[in-house]
Amino acid sequence: MKQRLEAQRRLVTVVILRTSIGLAVFSILVGLTLFLARGALYFPTTPSGPIHSIMAYIWREAMALRPSAFLEAGILVILFTPLARLLSGVVANVRARDWLYVGIGAVVIALVLTGLFTGQGGA
Amino acid sequence: MTPLLSVAVVLAGGMFAGIIGALTGLGGGLVIVPLLTLVLHLPVQEAVGVSLLGVIATSVGAAPRFVGTGLSNVRLALFLQVAASSGALVGALVAHSVPAKSLFLVFGLVMLYSAVMSFLPSHHDAQGAAADSPLAARLRLASRYKHGDQWIDYKVQGAAPAFGVMLGAGFLSAMLGIGSGVFKVLAMDKLMRLPFRVSTATSNFMIGITAATSAGYYLSHGEVPPLVAGPVILGVLGGAYLGAHWVHHLPVQVMRRIFAAVLCLVAVDMLLKGLGV
Repeated sequence: MKQRLEAQRRLVTVVILRTSIGLAVFSILVGLTLFLARGALYFPTTPSGPIHSIMAYIWREAMALRPSAFLEAGILVILFTPLARLLSGVVANVRARDWLYVGIGAVVIALVLTGLFTGQGGA
Repeated sequence: MTPLLSVAVVLAGGMFAGIIGALTGLGGGLVIVPLLTLVLHLPVQEAVGVSLLGVIATSVGAAPRFVGTGLSNVRLALFLQVAASSGALVGALVAHSVPAKSLFLVFGLVMLYSAVMSFLPSHHDAQGAAADSPLAARLRLASRYKHGDQWIDYKVQGAAPAFGVMLGAGFLSAMLGIGSGVFKVLAMDKLMRLPFRVSTATSNFMIGITAATSAGYYLSHGEVPPLVAGPVILGVLGGAYLGAHWVHHLPVQVMRRIFAAVLCLVAVDMLLKGLGV
């Protein structure tokens, strides 16, 4: 049982890592290609504000096929990858009934989320 | 510099940082921040924000190599990460009220320290500590890792002092845009007496989470320009991939020393900038 859970944990980690790397690389490459296709003249703007407003910005820019949408999406994928790993670790610890590390993992996730969703400047 | 040339320089710089990180274990932040501030003249806060994304990419890019080897001690990383992420939250808040000159000074000193540390000879236990400390035993931090076909068990000491060091490492990471791997590895190596390979792999897991804690802060302040951060991420991921394949074919110790010498020179440049010379 313990070995099966460990094998599943490994598989999930590898899937998260490879998917994130693939998505980020693809997205950034598309962004750079669009940038070059426009003669490298259009300089992407830098969004600011809460994460949800940056996501809304990505959507608006993507509809206009602007490079910044794809560059920014790749950035967000990389930014959220450690959080996804932490979440999958907590789920694995819940399944293993390792409550001490469910608690410690939850504290770390809370700290990362505090960093991601507070201190919102700009906008 | 034209936008196109800037992208090319940043991409090459990110790739160099990724290769150096994979070959020598020294973090990408020590390459990226000086490149962006001294060569591309980016404001230091933006350089730090971009570099933090590069640090996350370094961690994510190297992580698949460690899965299934036991080298990355996840329980230990989570315990220490409570301190590192707390330090990172404070560091991100403080960084915005610290003058750029002071950031250059602190960065120069940390660079110099990292460079000197990589010149010093290292004495590492193959087995680590002989017994667990009481706190390490209560937290079940001892584990084992795969070496060739064998699994090697190890014990853990000094969990409490290492926790304290991680607060400082997290603080510096957020303020300077570095992974602070040199401090993390040092604490795990010297205080916790972990096998060296376990220290470096666990540190690699931790630097990504520490950087993610503070990178959101810089992102929301509009200090992560996508045309700079995108190529940095791409370069770091590509460089880490190449470096991992070259690591067995290149004279890594020689390269580490050459890189450390270059770091010393750049550190002096950063210190002079900090002093306003």
